[in-house]
Amino acid sequence: MTVIFGIAAVLAFLGAVGVVLSQRTLYSALSLVLNMVALAVLFLLLDAQFVAAVQIIVYAGAVMVLFVFIIALLSPGAEERVRPLELRMLFGGGLAAVFTVVIGRLALNGITVTSNGHFHGVLGPFSPNLVDSHGQVQTLGEQLFTTYLLPFEVTSLLLLVAAVGAVYLSKHRRVSP
Amino acid sequence: MTGLFPGFLILSAAMFSVGAVGVLVRRNPLVVFMSIELMLNAANLALITYARYTHTMAGQVFALIVIAVAASEVVVGLALITGVYRSGHKLNLDELSEMSE
Repeated sequence: MTVIFGIAAVLAFLGAVGVVLSQRTLYSALSLVLNMVALAVLFLLLDAQFVAAVQIIVYAGAVMVLFVFIIALLSPGAEERVRPLELRMLFGGGLAAVFTVVIGRLALNGITVTSNGHFHGVLGPFSPNLVDSHGQVQTLGEQLFTTYLLPFEVTSLLLLVAAVGAVYLSKHRRVSP
Repeated sequence: MTGLFPGFLILSAAMFSVGAVGVLVRRNPLVVFMSIELMLNAANLALITYARYTHTMAGQVFALIVIAVAASEVVVGLALITGVYRSGHKLNLDELSEMSE
């Protein structure tokens, strides 16, 4: 388990760095695909099988195909030289390190894990054993259509708005300057 | 397995930071959008980590919703970028911000 986590975490981080540092936009997109596949592996390690499948299908499938399609359509090429030792990249690296320390400290702040790996405090009802016996997708689906029905419906509205907006933006011709 | 909890969160923080710096330092709008995707993915990882370790389902449900939000954001954003490109501008955020003035 720890070995798989290590490999997937290193790949995810390398993918993330690759997105920012790649000279060409297409390489950035491919790094993002690597990052997303590694994240799907991490989701599997966290007993979130359904989200891992959705991650592969929606992100690595649909969203990245859209990205690559637009990159191929616009073909921006290597219009922007990014040298790793450039001043702003050094500054960015330092900023990323500071952000990581601050956010990591805040995320772990006040959370104590006992030696056998349980949180102090009240745990929810969905222990991994119960979810396994009931089925992971069944449990998630039940929650999605009962407790979290309103966010789910709002999401469908959001998708409708996004589809209409995209159609409008791509049909509407702007006057050239 | 439970010993990995800080690891997941620190990876999430690192990915978010790299994405934020990508938004700040890159000038190509496509790469900026990919960096935003990176930040959303990092948030997803943190949500699912907390959901797993606090034995709740809310994190996974909202991770699904974040994925839907990211997908619609990409659709609208790429439509905007295509529109900007077709109106004859170069795909460079610095020059675009000067043109709006």
